[in-house]
This record gives sequence, structure tokens and C-alpha cells, in this order.
Amino acid sequence: MSAWIVRRLAAAIAIVLAAVTLTFFLLHLAGGSPCGQRDVQSVAPEVCARLRAQFGLDRPIWEQYGKYLWAVLHGDLGQSFWQRRPVIAALGDAMPNTLVLAGTALLIDFTLGLALGVYQAARARRFGDIALGNAALFVNSMPTFWLGLVLLLVFGQWLHLVPVGGTHDPVLCARLDSLHCVGDRLWHLALPALTLGLVGAAATARYQRAAMLEVIAQDFVRTARAKGLRERRVLLVHALRNALLPSITLFGLAFPFLVTGAVLVEWVFAWPGMGWLAVMAIGQRDYPVVTATALVASGMVTVGNLLADVVYAAADPRIRVRGA
Amino acid sequence: MPIRPPDRLIARLLVAGVLLGSLASCARRGACTGDYCGTVVIAAAGEPDILLPPVTELSTSRDVYDQLFLKLADLGMSGNTIGDEDFQPQLAERWEWDGPVTLVFHLDPRARWQDGRAVTAGDVVFTYDAYTDSLVNSPFRSSLRLISAVTARDSLTAVFRFRQRYPEMFYDAVYQMRILPAHLLRTIPRDQWRSAPFGRAPVGDGPYRFVAWKAGESLELAADSTFYLGRPHIRRVIVRFTPNLQVVTTQLVAGEADVTEQLGSPDNVKRACAAPQLACYPYKGAAYGYLGFNLATPGDSTKPHPLFGDRELRRALVMAVDRTRLLRNVFGDFAKVPPGPISQLAWIWDPETRELPHDSAQAARLLTRLGWIDSDSDGVRDRAGQKLAFRILVPTTSASRRLYARLLQEQFRTIGAEVQLDEVDLGLFSERARTGRFDAVLYTWNTDPTPSSSIPQTWTQAGLGRSNHGRYVNPAFDRLADRAVGAMNHAEARRLWRTAIEVLNQDAPAIFLFAPDAVAAAHRRITDVTIRPDSWLALLRTWRIPGDRLTDRDRAER
Repeated sequence: MSAWIVRRLAAAIAIVLAAVTLTFFLLHLAGGSPCGQRDVQSVAPEVCARLRAQFGLDRPIWEQYGKYLWAVLHGDLGQSFWQRRPVIAALGDAMPNTLVLAGTALLIDFTLGLALGVYQAARARRFGDIALGNAALFVNSMPTFWLGLVLLLVFGQWLHLVPVGGTHDPVLCARLDSLHCVGDRLWHLALPALTLGLVGAAATARYQRAAMLEVIAQDFVRTARAKGLRERRVLLVHALRNALLPSITLFGLAFPFLVTGAVLVEWVFAWPGMGWLAVMAIGQRDYPVVTATALVASGMVTVGNLLADVVYAAADPRIRVRGA
Repeated sequence: MPIRPPDRLIARLLVAGVLLGSLASCARRGACTGDYCGTVVIAAAGEPDILLPPVTELSTSRDVYDQLFLKLADLGMSGNTIGDEDFQPQLAERWEWDGPVTLVFHLDPRARWQDGRAVTAGDVVFTYDAYTDSLVNSPFRSSLRLISAVTARDSLTAVFRFRQRYPEMFYDAVYQMRILPAHLLRTIPRDQWRSAPFGRAPVGDGPYRFVAWKAGESLELAADSTFYLGRPHIRRVIVRFTPNLQVVTTQLVAGEADVTEQLGSPDNVKRACAAPQLACYPYKGAAYGYLGFNLATPGDSTKPHPLFGDRELRRALVMAVDRTRLLRNVFGDFAKVPPGPISQLAWIWDPETRELPHDSAQAARLLTRLGWIDSDSDGVRDRAGQKLAFRILVPTTSASRRLYARLLQEQFRTIGAEVQLDEVDLGLFSERARTGRFDAVLYTWNTDPTPSSSIPQTWTQAGLGRSNHGRYVNPAFDRLADRAVGAMNHAEARRLWRTAIEVLNQDAPAIFLFAPDAVAAAHRRITDVTIRPDSWLALLRTWRIPGDRLTDRDRAER
């Protein structure tokens, strides 16, 4: 098992390195410069030239790449061209917001998804199942940012039920120092987390329904019913526990997906997380920040995958044997 | 047997939602009453990069640091940049000319840095030195090139010496430089100013003091109740960062922000101005947009462009475009067709300026006379095997310019010119424009209040390698522009600029398409809102919220 984990870990590191390398070169080859993105006349070419030299952008790309990798290996992600501060500080501000958003979305995704999946399986091929199945398919087929815009329009702008953007009310809750401000933060979180969570929940529900239907048809469930157990206990204790395996895999994959998928949702809801940071940085040609966000995102995806594999292997030894 | 629908779960969720809503709506009440309360949330499309004036040219940074740092004097509402009569005292309580090239400023003895130290002439000398230091690499360095020295006569007297006498000496001395605290910045190596911690927590001498900056979210300023030019009425100013103007408008309409500088598109203007709690404030915009022709071969500036090297062809293309119709389509009533390369902000704006008329029939005749005919009936004119076809470079970040590109494509098609669009992101767009890798480019410039810097930088020989991306050079225009820059009185300068722009218009190096109005919006509870077009927040300290209009949010303590 440990050799298997080490091999997977080595593969994960290689994947992250490949993602960072690809991002680094694509970004540099895309053209543009940190100095040239503004429609103002005051930036003289000599100012830009000096800035490029200061950022090391006048050096050959291989040299820049080598220096960057060396610095990253030493824990230095560089200096943001645009924010004029260490990249690690920029990530430090953005990352918690994304984790809170993605974590809440994940909670919504699996709580709602599992509940709906079980409910649908229990009422398979009846009206409730068909209606929820179609609704889930509809939500699942919607682009996340579009769903976000619709929810924003309806609940934020028309009904004024929730805030239209940001993580908190900057007037009343500049600091998180009261119960009211905790509520305020949760209230601001509601719509973006719901947007991200709903789409995931629709997919999870479909997986869970299928897994439940497969398990419900098995002998041990029939035995449980024959023993006279209540239907709720049969479903939630006996069947659900055995139908959770696909969801474990899904769980491992969902978190990194949510983190990367949050990019557009963060943009729509002015949520200052990693996605917002990456989009702003791309526009500003802030190479160190873009590469760092790629590093973190690819790291999360691979770690998520790795964890899913490990949990799955622990739960089902056949996987481990095949992979060995 | 089916399970029971989760009624209890739904009920619990509803209760939790109601509780959460109650928590969020239960505002903290503050005690502030009277005329100097009030909190204003400004929605900004973007975020400052740093709050150290010499090292940033971002307008979002400028809007904030203008509340923190003072100039010696500032431009008046007239926007007149010639002479000194329309300037208002700030750090300098008065000034006088000591000969034709020597300007003496007397600092207000009441001026203090927010750490309690007095503002001195030494700070002025330090500031000039910093702005002109190549290590600081200030984007404003070139605007100070005609100042030869700044010295301190005594602790409250700063003396500026110029290399020559010219009309905008005073403007150059005061407009770009915000005086900096020498005692706090002297120890920071100049080449590290761009990332100095001071830039993210500055100490200034202006009407507001810096409180906090939460990256990606908001920035807070608090009124300096001891400010010597008068205590600001608005007590707290919060700048809330958003990704774009659409989100800005949404936040305003939803009541989550109070003020914004610009609403942008006509749709946003309509949405915001229709909101009952908002008042709209149109003012002169500082931008103009145009389709610029590259007069040199893309990638080889030594050769003329195969199409646009021909002045007559450019004139035909200008005449083929119905600029008024395009403008109505894109901006509705919220822009004007510029009479040349100027924004509405410029005091030389003159609708009587002579331009090439819109006349598509004449444009077609001219093209035919030049030998451009559709010889193979494919709808595109050609000459000696070359098609009348070119590409327009346009940034994906600008919805208005993308729309313009499509409308221009259609208008050119009707006279037999084939246009392809190169839509690229802003970084690449700017780089391609700067390096001349385009046929035609849809550009927008934000200009200073004075034409003396923006026009020569973009349309004269001196602008080659700077902002003159289309490489337009006409010595006659250059001479007229030089004379206009040097004209010592307003009327003469205006006349000369008009003549110069008419020469440029006849050469048709570009099609000047739009000069947008700027429309700000502010919550109706805010009164005395005066917007100076070149710097919309310059008079923020005079805005106020009357006591009877204060809300709980206004009174809330931090």
C-alpha cells in the first residue's frame, strides 16, 4: 500500500509540475506585458522597459523558467507585478475565501445530492422521482455562471432577499467581531455557494439514485425488509451505506472541481477568491500570480484525486491489487 | 414502502434561513449625529495596485490617494490649464512668479502629516526628486522634464525653476505631483518603492486618513477631523472593489453601494438612473475612441502600409463611415462624435472644427478613381491583384469597441472593403498596437485635461515609439501643434489647436468615432455632490449627508 501511495504521489508531483510549466510557457507565449495593458498615455516606453527589467522579463524565457522553478522549490512564489506584494500574501487573502465558498458548496452538493438520490430511489419511476430527475438534469445542464446570473437577478436584484456580491457588508461588518457579522458573512455566502452547490448536487443525485437502485435490488436489503425493519432504516442504514462507494470517488473529485469551477461564480458574485485573483492576474499579465494559482489549482486537483484513490483503495482492496 | 418526504428537514432549513436572515438584518447601531456623520460606499470597477502616487498611473489608485495626499495647488472647475489663475490653493496657501522661469510656493503653515509632523518645503523638494528619479521610474517623470530644479528657500517656501517659459508651467508644477512625507519615505530604497509596505498603508496630509485595505474586497478611509482646509462632512469612505461596471451598477441599484464614478454602457446608465434612490450626474468624459490606420507596414515601420500608406484611400474610408449612426447604435445619447483626437474634457473641444463629411457615394467614387474596382464581382474591390481587405485589432475586454468593430465591418463591406476582426485580450492588444503589428486598431485613450501632452504624444513625430502607434507624421501638423502648445493665451491656443486638428482631419490617419459622456451616480441622501471632470472625487470632502437623511448605516461605528 505504501509503495502504491508513493508512486501515486510521484505521479501527482509530475502532473503539478507539468501544469505549472504549461501555464508558464503559454502565458509568456500569449504576448502582452505587465506594462502594456492600460489605455493611458502616461506610460512611456522607457518606463515599461525599466519595469520589464525589474521583473526579469527581459531575460530569455528558459532563464526565467529556471529561476522561477528554483524559487518555487525554495518556497518563494515571487512578487505580484500588479498587487506589488508577495504572491503568497495575495494567495493568502484569496484562498480562504475560495475554500469557504467551495467547502460550503461541497456541503450543499453532497447533502442535497445524497438526500435527493435516496429520495428518488425510494420513489423510483413515480412522479416525485421523474420530476426531480428532470429538474436535476435541467440544473446540471446549465452553465454555472448562467445559473449564478439568474439567481442573482431573481433573489438579489428583484426580490432583494440576498446581497448581490462581496463576502460581507463593509459598512457594518468590516470586522468579524459579532454574531451579526457571522450572519452577514453567511448571508453573503448563500447565493454563490448555492449556485456552485446546486449544479453539483444535481449530478450527485443522479449518481446516488443509480447506486441506490442497484443496492436496493440486492438480497440483503430484501432480508432486512423481511426482518420487519422500518423502510427508513432499511434505506438509510442498510442500503445507503452500501451505495456510498461511488459518492466517495465523486467527493474526492468534486472539491478540486469546485475550486476551479468557482472561477466564474466568483466573478459573477464579486467574491474575492482564487478565481477572481486568477482572472484579474491574467488580464494584468501578472505572471507570478497566474502561475501560482495554476500551481495551487493543479495541486488541489491531484491531491483530491489522490485522496479519492486512497480512500477508494482502502474501502475496496480490489483497486489496490489491480493498481499494484 | 416509500420513505416519508423530509418535511421536518424542510421545516428546519426554513427556520435556519429565517434565523440567518434575522441575524444579517439586525444592524449595529452607532451614535454619530449631526453634520459630520455619514458613510459612503464607492463601487469601483477594479482595485488600486498601490497608494504611493509616483509609482502608479491607475485611476482607481489615484481616486484613493487623492484623498490622502495633497498637491501644492489643484485645477479649478473650468479645467483651464494655461496660466495659474484657475488653480485653487491646496498645500500652498499662495504663490508668486519671481521672474519668467521661477515660481515660488508658500506652504500653508497649518498643513500637517497625519502622524503630526508639519509639511515642509523639504517635503516638496524630496517629492520632486523622487518623481524625477529613474530608480522610482515614475510614469509622470516626463511631465516634469521642463522643471530644472526645486529648492527650499526656508521651511515653508519652495522654489521651482523652469528650463523655459511656456503657458502650462504652473500646471506642470502642480498637477501630477502629490507631495510626499520625506521623513517616512527617505529610508526606503527608491528602487523598492513599487512594493513598499507604505504603499499599502500610507500616511498622508489630505482630508482623509487611511484605515484598512482588504485585498480584493474593500478599502476604508476615515475623515481627518483636524484637516486644515475644512473637516470633511462624510466621516467614512469605503471603496468596494468589483470586477466590472455591470457589477458596479448592480450593487448601486441593490443599495449595496452609494456612489460610482462611471456607469459605462447606456444600459447601465438607464438601470441606475431609473432606481429611485439614485441621482445621476453626467459630466465631461476624459476618453475618446477611434479607428486608427497603420501608415506603416505591420512589423516593418520603414515601409508604408500597402493600403493605408495612401492618404486618398484613407480619406475614402473615413467618408464611408457614418459616425453619428454608429454612435447612436453603441452609446445612444451618452457620447458625442469627436471633432478630432480629443475628449470632451479638453478645453479645445470645438464642434465647428472642419472634418471630412460622411458621403459613401463620394467615398465609392474616390475608390474607383484610385483604381479600386470589383473586377471579379466577389463584392470586394481589388487593384492589381490586391484586394481591398484589412484587419481591425480590437480588445475583447471592451464591449463597445467590439460592437463598433462589427458595425464598421458592415459599413466598409457596403463600399467593397473586406474587413476581418482580430479580437484579442487587452494585454496582447496593447502590445500589438505598441509594436505596430496591426492594419487598423480600435483604440481608446484617456486623456489629461491638457491637449499639450496627449495630442503630441499620439499624433506627432515626437510620439513615434510612444503612443503614435499608427506612425502618422505631418510636419505641418507638428509645427501647428508646437505653436499651439507654446501659445501664451487661451484664445490663441484654442485657435491654433483647431487649425492643427483640421490639418490632421484632412490627412485622415484615423476615424474619430466616439467621445463618451461620463455619468456618475450617487445615492440621493448625499447632497452637495460636485464632480470635477478630470478627477471626479477631487471635491469629495465637500459632499455631505444632512443630519435628517442619515441612516443607521451612516451612523454605524467601525
